[in-house]
Amino acid sequence: MHFISKNADSVITLASAAIAAAMALLLLTIFTFIAQESLPAWQQGVLAILTGSEWQPLAEPPQLGLLIMLASTLWSALGAMLIAAPLGVCCAIFLAEFAPDWLTAIIKPVLTMLTGIPSVVYGFLGAAVLVRFFEIKRLLASGESLFCASLVLAIMVIPYIVTGCYSALRSIPAEYRIAVLSMGISKPYAAIHVLLPMARKSMISAISLAFGRAAGETMAVLMLAGNTLLLPTSWFAKGEPLSALIALELGSATVGSPQYHGLFAAGLVLLAFISVINLTIYFSSRDSRNVARLK
Amino acid sequence: MKKLFVVLLSVIMMVIVGGCGSQTTKAPATKDNSIKIGGSSTMAPVIAKCADDFTEKFHTWKKVNDRLPDEPIVIFVATGGSGFGVKSAMNNTVDMGLVSRDVKEAEKAKLTNHTLYTLGYDALTIAVNPQNPVLTVKPDITNDEIKKIFSGEIKTWNQLDPNLPNRPIVLAIRDLGGGASQVFDELIMKGTPIAKEAVQLPSMGALAGKVMDNADAIGYVSVGLVEQNKGKIGVLSVEGIQPTTENIASGKYKIARPLIVIAKATPDDREQQFLNYLQSEKGVKALSSMGFVPVQAK
Repeated sequence: MHFISKNADSVITLASAAIAAAMALLLLTIFTFIAQESLPAWQQGVLAILTGSEWQPLAEPPQLGLLIMLASTLWSALGAMLIAAPLGVCCAIFLAEFAPDWLTAIIKPVLTMLTGIPSVVYGFLGAAVLVRFFEIKRLLASGESLFCASLVLAIMVIPYIVTGCYSALRSIPAEYRIAVLSMGISKPYAAIHVLLPMARKSMISAISLAFGRAAGETMAVLMLAGNTLLLPTSWFAKGEPLSALIALELGSATVGSPQYHGLFAAGLVLLAFISVINLTIYFSSRDSRNVARLK
Repeated sequence: MKKLFVVLLSVIMMVIVGGCGSQTTKAPATKDNSIKIGGSSTMAPVIAKCADDFTEKFHTWKKVNDRLPDEPIVIFVATGGSGFGVKSAMNNTVDMGLVSRDVKEAEKAKLTNHTLYTLGYDALTIAVNPQNPVLTVKPDITNDEIKKIFSGEIKTWNQLDPNLPNRPIVLAIRDLGGGASQVFDELIMKGTPIAKEAVQLPSMGALAGKVMDNADAIGYVSVGLVEQNKGKIGVLSVEGIQPTTENIASGKYKIARPLIVIAKATPDDREQQFLNYLQSEKGVKALSSMGFVPVQAK
């Protein structure tokens, strides 16, 4: 008994360290597995895969070009951010600085609920409502497009942006607001020219996180992007994001075939892309201020 | 005490996590009495359903047939594609292989110790929206016209027939590597690539939905889904032949693929019992409930 209570701290520290190491090892294993499974595809030439615009994995010889997919992923995700970022940031500023308490108390839980809706439900709603809208209004022969995907992705990521930016603004100490108001500056000016620049770093990391989420989203884009093998030339064209490609074809790909390796290569590209974004967020938002630690 | 409790809890958790790992590495010393089935992803759901029904009904092998031992029924069904089904049947990696295409002669040569059972057919209809005037103007279509439409040579409805409106044809297809797409390629496209503007849908249900929703759409919808959505999907006859159950089972309607089970020539008792079940009327019912056409009893 005495031994345990004496060493309990070191036991728990060791256990926690072991679990943390296991998590890091798990991430490394995932990366290695995907890289390993995709190796035969990369032997065709890294640049050939990343810039090739022909995806015909079943042809002889198999063509594994991911340009269409990369373009579609970037277009739909950036398009989503174009819609979501301004709306999200403005909503956050409104909630943090201008909204009456009762309104904030209603909107915040609603946003939290929006994050809980499964993405397949968003995809289904998009297919039933948005796609049909374009077809009924005869705007497009077939309603799926990258714009539909962007719109639904925007709705999915706005809660993340609002929550992140709201926290960023709320974490600015009250002294700044008091000082600014005591100088007779109007509230809107203070919000945009004083508070926003102060919260800039956290806001950028919230937006980047949302971008990563939008780029990796599968079910919604699978049903909305159209999945054609043509390079998208406009926002209203159809495309096939990386995640939709993998979801569509992996089930029927024969293990060990060029298609299988090509799909894993697509997965590696997506994983690398999201990891780069997340690492950039981490390194750019690290607190340079002196933070006291419990050590 | 509280400290002790926390320490004990964390130690127990670590032991459980560690114990999970070692359990899976210790292989059971008993003989494996399960039936392993694998192959086509089209057939796997049907066979899995039959396996579930079989297990629900009998629970142990003894109840199926008195001669068999009193052990619980264990049947594993895996996907992996028709190619995998053939290869693993050849290597005896699985007890039964599932194939949803014709078995090639070269493959049959290697399957000397096996018997092939055709359970039924999966037919693809050429489906359009019920509001599409093509159903009254030109209800029959030739293989060549289908090929031209799906390869993009014929881009608008009025290029197919001048009495049709000048609307673009919206092509709905399945993912290019999947079984349905391969069947369509083998029997109609014969190597001609499908137009890149074709919209790939993730499932046959989504394909049917697209044809039902979009007035200009055309796609190859599985016959079972057409049956389930009577009135909401229009079907064209191909080379004068309607995709009815009789025409499909007799082979007159050509855009169909056989659903084949590759079993050992001398299966052991358990496998034989399950094979009998698959070919019995319960198996036939499961097959038709999933939209496939069971082979006609001779």
